[in-house]
Amino acid sequence: MNQDSSYNNHKKSIEGSNFGSLIVSIFFILAGFLTLYDTQSYTDADSSVFPQAAAILLILCASVSTIQNLIRPMADEGFGRGSWWRRLLLVTTMLLTCFAMPYIGFLLAAAISFVGGMIAAMHDRWSLKSLIVYLGSGALIMVVFYILFRYVLYVPLP
Amino acid sequence: MIRRTTIKTFSAAAILTMAGAFSAQAAVNGPVNYIIPFGPGGESDISARFQQPFFKSMFGQDLVVSYQPGGGGAVGWASLNGKKGDGQTIMGVNLPHIIIKPAQKNVGFKTDDLNTFYMFHFTPDALVVKADSPYKSLQDFIDAAKAKPGQMTLSGSGKASANHLAQIKFDKMASIKTTYVPFKGTGAAVAAMLGSQVKAEWGYSTVGAKQGAAVRMLAVAMEERHPLFPNVPTFKELGYDMVGGAYRGIALPKSASAATTKMWSEMIGEINRDPAFVKKMLGGGFAMLDVDAAGMASFMKARSVEYLKDAREAGLIK
Amino acid sequence: MDINNFLAALTLTNIALALFGVVAGTIIGSIPGLTATMAVAVLVPITFSMEPASALILLGAIYTGAIYGGAYAAILLNTPGTPSAIATTFDGYPMAKRGDGDLAVALACFASVFGGLVGAMALLFLAPPLSEVALAFGPGEYFWLSIFGLSLIAALSNGNLMKGLAGGAFGLILSTVGVAEISADIRLTFGSQTLISGFGVVGALIGLYCIPVLIDLVAVPDRHLKIEDDVKSVRIGEAASIAMKSKVNLIRSSIIGTLVGILPGAGGSVAGLVAYSEAKRNASPDQKFGEGEPDGIIATESANNATVGGGFIPTLVLGIPGTPPDAVILGALLVQGVRTGPTLFQSGSDSIAYTFIYGLLIATILMLPVGLLIGRYAYKSIVTIPKAVLVPTVGFMTIIGTFAIHNSISDVGIMIGLGIFGWIVGRFGFSASPIVLGLILGPIAEQGFVQSWIIGSATNDLIGMFFGRPISQAIVAFTLLSLFYPLWVGRRQRAMK
Repeated sequence: MNQDSSYNNHKKSIEGSNFGSLIVSIFFILAGFLTLYDTQSYTDADSSVFPQAAAILLILCASVSTIQNLIRPMADEGFGRGSWWRRLLLVTTMLLTCFAMPYIGFLLAAAISFVGGMIAAMHDRWSLKSLIVYLGSGALIMVVFYILFRYVLYVPLP
Repeated sequence: MIRRTTIKTFSAAAILTMAGAFSAQAAVNGPVNYIIPFGPGGESDISARFQQPFFKSMFGQDLVVSYQPGGGGAVGWASLNGKKGDGQTIMGVNLPHIIIKPAQKNVGFKTDDLNTFYMFHFTPDALVVKADSPYKSLQDFIDAAKAKPGQMTLSGSGKASANHLAQIKFDKMASIKTTYVPFKGTGAAVAAMLGSQVKAEWGYSTVGAKQGAAVRMLAVAMEERHPLFPNVPTFKELGYDMVGGAYRGIALPKSASAATTKMWSEMIGEINRDPAFVKKMLGGGFAMLDVDAAGMASFMKARSVEYLKDAREAGLIK
Repeated sequence: MDINNFLAALTLTNIALALFGVVAGTIIGSIPGLTATMAVAVLVPITFSMEPASALILLGAIYTGAIYGGAYAAILLNTPGTPSAIATTFDGYPMAKRGDGDLAVALACFASVFGGLVGAMALLFLAPPLSEVALAFGPGEYFWLSIFGLSLIAALSNGNLMKGLAGGAFGLILSTVGVAEISADIRLTFGSQTLISGFGVVGALIGLYCIPVLIDLVAVPDRHLKIEDDVKSVRIGEAASIAMKSKVNLIRSSIIGTLVGILPGAGGSVAGLVAYSEAKRNASPDQKFGEGEPDGIIATESANNATVGGGFIPTLVLGIPGTPPDAVILGALLVQGVRTGPTLFQSGSDSIAYTFIYGLLIATILMLPVGLLIGRYAYKSIVTIPKAVLVPTVGFMTIIGTFAIHNSISDVGIMIGLGIFGWIVGRFGFSASPIVLGLILGPIAEQGFVQSWIIGSATNDLIGMFFGRPISQAIVAFTLLSLFYPLWVGRRQRAMK
């Protein structure tokens, strides 16, 4: 559970990470209050005890952590280096797969995220050979597992 | 002459229509997804597993059991009508759950949303204690409950479930006050009783079958004694008109055609009539029941009236 | 317990089944999204045509293989393959990152085999008395056990105590989303139909662990894990010697795993957590738990495989499943007409229980060569596969695996959403483990609390219910110990300087 400590310590990143930490902690505090608010609508007394206790714990801990952060900002937090467009590509294609699945079926939808992930992860130069090999092996993997899940395990993939 | 020709034509037409209807009739194509809206190992799961081999040998297709637990069944039932109604997906349903739950709050489905086509068994309510418990008979239990109102703790599976309703109903009938402690599933409720965390359990006859000599059933809620337990009296013979338990059946998505529904109703009914199947079910402590698609509406109506009345009196629903 | 049962387990069919089960289970368990429960559930219909003992051996072998297989993904991808492997990520992934991944995998194998053997031995010799221990755990004990688990999260948070606790509390709240089990309310769904099923552990596991790893993998051009130039098999010898030196850890963790396994509802994740924390508490000062300490993997992997044997105790003796795969296996047994209960353990030459236990022992022993072999190939492939294939493949597996849990696309969406969330908060010190552990422990804590409250109120003995029972007292003592011991030791060390 250790932080990966291979990120630079720029002053900018300290300020940036400070701000980010603040936002995240505040998010948790808000989540706690939201939970407390929701417990008002429960009809059974039994069901509100636990969420209330957990919410109070959350608010307390997140508040203390916010204060700690303001006093002593951690330098090794923050989004660090790393290319943003690749991250976005990966995540967006995965989400796209999710939404597209009911319409174009499993294999085609999964292909979207597969290709997206491949492009996002590919840092070396593309060559015709590598393109064919990667796409080919990717297609193979997808088809094999599709068959496994659909016909052997009877999972109703769309 | 014309009449005979007319008759012949009419008969031919009738036969052709029937043949057409026959070929247009639903059929099971490929393995069937049998969803149990609970976790594995419960009564719904076991009865489905009993059905599996009979289905395969009678109709040649696989019943593939899968689980979709959550919310005491609510998650599964809420998702049923999102599935295809081609007869390849069926789901287990339970009474009183599917009647009580929608009446309590918005759980994502209404009782009528579920196209229940067969009720094939029920597990009669039973009051169960540990074998070395001081309560040897139902009367012992009632006396103890009367002596210390509220201190008699009983475990059961879930809240507003069959076990809970049984506790409420019996408390009223015997004029006693007991405390119901809800557990997640019959297994946990039985463990609590066996570990003496509670004094007794509101369970089913299947508990007696599973636990054997480790438990004593004080009474079962049936018309006549269960063949597996000839020494366990019924509530009825002890003077308490309590017959019932958790009923279990199967449903299709609402989009399923009448033909598909009828087909499934007949298939399950056929399994239910097989003596080997009946023997297996009885041997597991279940009790048989046959309510097919045709009789479903009136059955559900009668049960609804009964359950909603009990639940309202208990304050479980408004 | 006589020799006939042992010989019955040694038939060619049974050995073949055990071998097949271990291989299949290991592969299935290593894929994030496929759990041991799923593996067992899918193969149950095949067992209907088998002898009960053979069926049990097959299912048991799959189960134990899957629990071991979960370590691969945990070590090499920082994603537990099954919930039981959560604690293995603590030291497994750091070891992989510094190039010791093959050592970690081999260690996991040795530890898993040892733990599995201890659990199976307990099943063989101590089943009836241990089942009594299981029954003695009531709602109060379960509640305190989950509090203990949560305190471990705090203790393991390495300086980020507040953030660890906050994450744990957030996990607790997440566990309440949906229809409440204990009462009938619907909580925190805000009217959404998708959220009514709540956050499943496996989906959350994959989302919170795996997606952030993928997001970071694509961002930088570095290789995922360091490759040593020659992937030697000498590491197996190295792993064996490390394991030998950590005998105490191995034995203690396996016993913890067995004991946690006998408690219905606790499971491998809790076992790994408790064993890890105990190993850390008893560590020598030069050991750095959480940064790639071999003893960490030894502790968690032996504990979680011990829960396999341990979990069968309540399953076979009481008919109450110890873990979710046990519930499926129990169902399969009941269909075959096998009656559980103490009678199952009476020795007779055709005792199903004993034949099965011997078969489980054989399967566990077989896991040693099989596991080392598969582990070596798994390590080689993950390390040498170019990122451009690894990332999309793992992404694909998470999608198909999450979908297969409940055949639901919305589960996949929730998983990805949680993943993005997990990545963001992970960047600012809120790691995935406390949240997931809160999610797992939440229901146990809540049910234990509410039930104890009801019983205590009814018997006018609230204090006694929570604080008066010996087992509860012991657990509370352990909780306080694990919370304050590190503080006390730290203070002593500073005083000595």
